[in-house]
Order: sequence, then structure tokens, then C-alpha cells
Amino acid sequence: MDLNEKELIANLKSEASREQAFQLLVKMYQQRLYWHIRKIVMNHDDTDDILQNVFIKVWKNIESFREDSSLFTWLFRIATNESLSHLQKQKRHSLVSINEIGDYLSESLESDVYFEGDEIQRKFQLAILQLPNKQRIVFNMKYFDEMKYEEISLVLKTSVGALKASYHFAVKKIEEFLKEDPK
Amino acid sequence: MKEKNVNIEHLFGKLKKETPFRVPENYFETFADRLNVRIQEEKNSYYKRSLFIYFKPMMAVAAILVLSMLLIYIPITKLLPSDSGNIVQNRSEKNVNDSVSGIPAALISNFSEEQLLAAFSASNDLDSKTLTADNLAVYIADNYSSYEILTDN
Repeated sequence: MDLNEKELIANLKSEASREQAFQLLVKMYQQRLYWHIRKIVMNHDDTDDILQNVFIKVWKNIESFREDSSLFTWLFRIATNESLSHLQKQKRHSLVSINEIGDYLSESLESDVYFEGDEIQRKFQLAILQLPNKQRIVFNMKYFDEMKYEEISLVLKTSVGALKASYHFAVKKIEEFLKEDPK
Repeated sequence: MKEKNVNIEHLFGKLKKETPFRVPENYFETFADRLNVRIQEEKNSYYKRSLFIYFKPMMAVAAILVLSMLLIYIPITKLLPSDSGNIVQNRSEKNVNDSVSGIPAALISNFSEEQLLAAFSASNDLDSKTLTADNLAVYIADNYSSYEILTDN
């Protein structure tokens, strides 16, 4: 935890400077958190709701933040949990089975007006969506966000070894998917 | 087959790491403002919830008192004879009792002095010694109909 982050946390915990520090926190992390959430739930509107919920949770609970982890890790953990809860809710409401979540998200991708990738990127995203949720999160964090295993380990509370294995299997599955359906 | 694998690996390796998604225009520029609105709403609802939590025990006690009153009062009023009915009945009985020899006292006051004197002089069996309010009322009741009593005045 660097000095700036410590200062930011101290300001967030102080009632006098909280508003200003919170604005700074939002500016610093909104984009990274947005893209992290977006890659999990795919849909922009859902991502927007979840991102707001994440920051509201931070606002409400900042005083109880124990500083065991960095602010970044804490924020990413909240965002990941909120996104997974959202998928669970979707599953309950639409009676979608866990295996069909990938199909549900694929449909969401196909109808997404904010998707501007080419055919190869669409195919690649569809391949990623076939992965189980947690494996997909590991793949996204490693491949797109280029996070270190140690950082991912802190966010997901999973051992580095398990993460490496998860990423390895994810890559294999994506390759298989692209091989089977290269159109 | 080998050539196909090479192509796939080549494709996977060359895939752009930039996200293929985009966001609505000015989304990130306006996000903080929208978030502030949400936080204000949350704060307001929190204060409302706090007030409700504060007053909840008092409201519960008040509700229990009202409910107990209703549970006691309604069966009592349903099961016991009505007091108001008794009062009305008593009042009508009192009016009857206020009458003299069956004629309501109010009717006697309707007679003029001439009527009363004429009645007095015409009567053989009514002398000054026995002239009392009761006797006079009995006489009037015997000699005049209710219609005459009411219309002559």
C-alpha cells in the first residue's frame, strides 16, 4: 500500500474529507471496475447498476475497511462478488441452469448494441463465455487486465497454483471451442 | 489438421487485447454525478428508515393499546344492553310520569285562562275547595278531546 493510497483511505475514513476523497476514488477506479464487471455480466445497463452498487457499498463500509488488503483488491473483490451475485439472481429469476448461463450471456452479447468488435473478436468472446464463471473471471483478469497471479489471488482468495491451473484449462477450452467452430 | 491448429494459435495469439465493447457517450464523465444522486437517495431512505426504527416501538405500543381497546370495547358493547337505549326509554317514561292523570303537563299549559275559567264555572262537581292541578287535568281530559285542546289555542 503506497503513501497516496494510505492518505486516500485516511481521508475516506475522516468525515470532514470523505466527500472529496470519495470523488477522487470514483475517478481513479471507475473505468477499471467498469470493464472488470462488464466482462463478467456483458450487458452495459447491468454493469452500470452493479458499478453504482459497488461504490455505494464502499461509501457505506469505508469506516469498517480493515486495510488488510489494498484498496484496489478490496474494490475488485466487491465488484467480483456483486457481479457473481447478479448472475445468480439472473439464474434464479429466469430459471436458467448453471450450464445455460453461458448461452444466456452469449445471447446478451449477440444483442449488445455496445459491442463494436469484429467477427474474430465476437467469436473469441463467445468462446470465453463458454467457460464456467470463475474460470472466465480468472481468464479475463489474466489475459485482458494482465494482472499478476498474486494480485488475482488476493482478489479471488484463491491460491496462485489453482489460478494457474484454472487459466491453463481456460486457454485450452477456448482453443478447443475455436477449433470446433472456426466459422 | 496441423495447419489448422497453427492458424487457431496464430488467431488466438494475435487477438487484440483491447475490449471490443464500448460505452454510451460521456458515460464515465457523468458517472460520478449519477452516483451522487444515488448516494443522496440512499441517505434519505436511510434517515427515513432510522426514524421508522426509532418510532417503531412507540407505534407498536400504540397499536397494541388500540387493538386491546377494540377487543375489549366491541364485545362489551355487543354483549351488554345498550345504555343509550335505556336513556331514551327512561326519558319517554319520565315524560309520561310528568303528565297529570294521563294528560301530559305540556298540554295543560296550552289552555288559555278563559278556557280554564269556563271549565271551572261550568263544572258542577268541581268547586274551589277541590281545585287542584290534578283535578283540573282530570276534568279537561274528561270533557275535551285532544283535537279541541290543541286547536282552540
